[in-house]
Amino acid sequence: MDIRGLVLINSASVDSEHHDQFPSFLPGLTDVAGKSALERTAERLQKFGASPVTAVIEGEPYNGGIKSISSISQVVATPDRFWRAAEGAFSDLVQSGAELVILVRLGAYAEIDFESMVQFHLDRQCRVSQAKQNGQVLEVFCISASRRNDAASLFRSKLTHCRSDCPQFENFGYLNPLADSLDLRQFAIDILTLKTETSPAGEQIRPGVWAASRAQIEKGARVLAPAFIGSYARIRSGAVITRCSSIEHHAQVDCGTIVENASLLPYSYIGAALELAHSVAGFSYIWNLRRDCVVRICDAKLLHQSVASSRNRLLSSTAELVTYLPKQFWRGIFGPSPAPKPDLNDALRQTSPSLGAASGYRAPACDSQAANEFPSNFVVARTHGNQ
Amino acid sequence: MPDRVNGRTAREFLRDVRPFLSVDRPQLVFDLSQVVQLDAAGVEMLLRCMSEAHKRDGDLKLASPSPEASVVLELTRTERLFEIYETSTDAARSFSGFLPNAMRQQLLHKRPSAPAAA
Repeated sequence: MDIRGLVLINSASVDSEHHDQFPSFLPGLTDVAGKSALERTAERLQKFGASPVTAVIEGEPYNGGIKSISSISQVVATPDRFWRAAEGAFSDLVQSGAELVILVRLGAYAEIDFESMVQFHLDRQCRVSQAKQNGQVLEVFCISASRRNDAASLFRSKLTHCRSDCPQFENFGYLNPLADSLDLRQFAIDILTLKTETSPAGEQIRPGVWAASRAQIEKGARVLAPAFIGSYARIRSGAVITRCSSIEHHAQVDCGTIVENASLLPYSYIGAALELAHSVAGFSYIWNLRRDCVVRICDAKLLHQSVASSRNRLLSSTAELVTYLPKQFWRGIFGPSPAPKPDLNDALRQTSPSLGAASGYRAPACDSQAANEFPSNFVVARTHGNQ
Repeated sequence: MPDRVNGRTAREFLRDVRPFLSVDRPQLVFDLSQVVQLDAAGVEMLLRCMSEAHKRDGDLKLASPSPEASVVLELTRTERLFEIYETSTDAARSFSGFLPNAMRQQLLHKRPSAPAAA
């Protein structure tokens, strides 16, 4: 039997508050532990035997160009033409010989037992059947290719209404609504803790630590399981990645930064000596999950988004390299002279005026002999790190 | 505080606040409820104010930080350096609750006398 897959992605499934603030944010296309929900769904469809898979994606090319996936043919449509494009893609699949089309709309990521669903559809001789889970209908349909009018009415009603009887198949697999950043974070946690059928992309370099190809983890950086480092991502010296954190492809964590229970989206850079915790960061925004708020970070030293195009990245790196020496000269000549470092021995001998009559008291730490054992710049306090 | 605390506004704010920092034992409360944007220069300004206040045996406390300010303070690991209160009133009240000299005097008076040798 010729079964094909059709995956639809549009912004209607995204939490409206999030989508107003970030028009380019579509959770279905956002990489989580190395692969987007689209890739994972397409992989599952192909594993089941529904091949080829066509994806219809709404709107502007995502993040400077939708990531091309060799196994999926992609159709990008503007919001007003999205449903017409979906109907057209369905017709194309039927004309190319499909007998049954599995239609999945992301939004929610559901691990459907496609084999049982198709069997359910055939047993009941349905025109259209739909999946449901825990009493909630999912936007996953099996459509008999010969029933074009039923399919057309389904597309024209934006998958809300089917003109014929639509039996519902009960599914028991993994389900994530993927409606906002909290769901996106939960999805990363579930993948890394192996609660899903799908696993993180790349190779498991240590138990619970996955790294995709060309991920750079510098000497002195610590990655504590479970965690994921995407391809071309860079974890610089002294950084700590822990508690189900996911660093996606081309993201960069600068020296000494702690990433704890957080996701860093593709092409994001987080500055040195920071602490990103319980958050999803990317597109120059931080979604703080504990405070349930979204904050735009305007300071590129803290967080910024690098360009997606490799050519533009090369150009910007070259420009930085060329301007580095002139900047240093300029700072050296016209910049303010560095303030002298206070000597620790003097600082230790000083007593607070608030001590009053006790100001003459010499604490053991004020003992000059003890203080001389350490260099005057030995004032280092670290709560994290391995050095 | 201004709603956007970046390099320029931070310098202006520091200039305005400096007279209050130069007194003996300055006790300052910054209300961050209106702050919608805070960058590294803003955080540096806050630390500088706190450092100046500490030099003169005073203190700087923060009150009712907005979510934006809270996230940036947390990101830069500086929220643990400041005393942060829910309201400006609470922050101001906390200054009067801590009187080290008075407490010292009280403690000295209350100390029990050493037992006499048998």
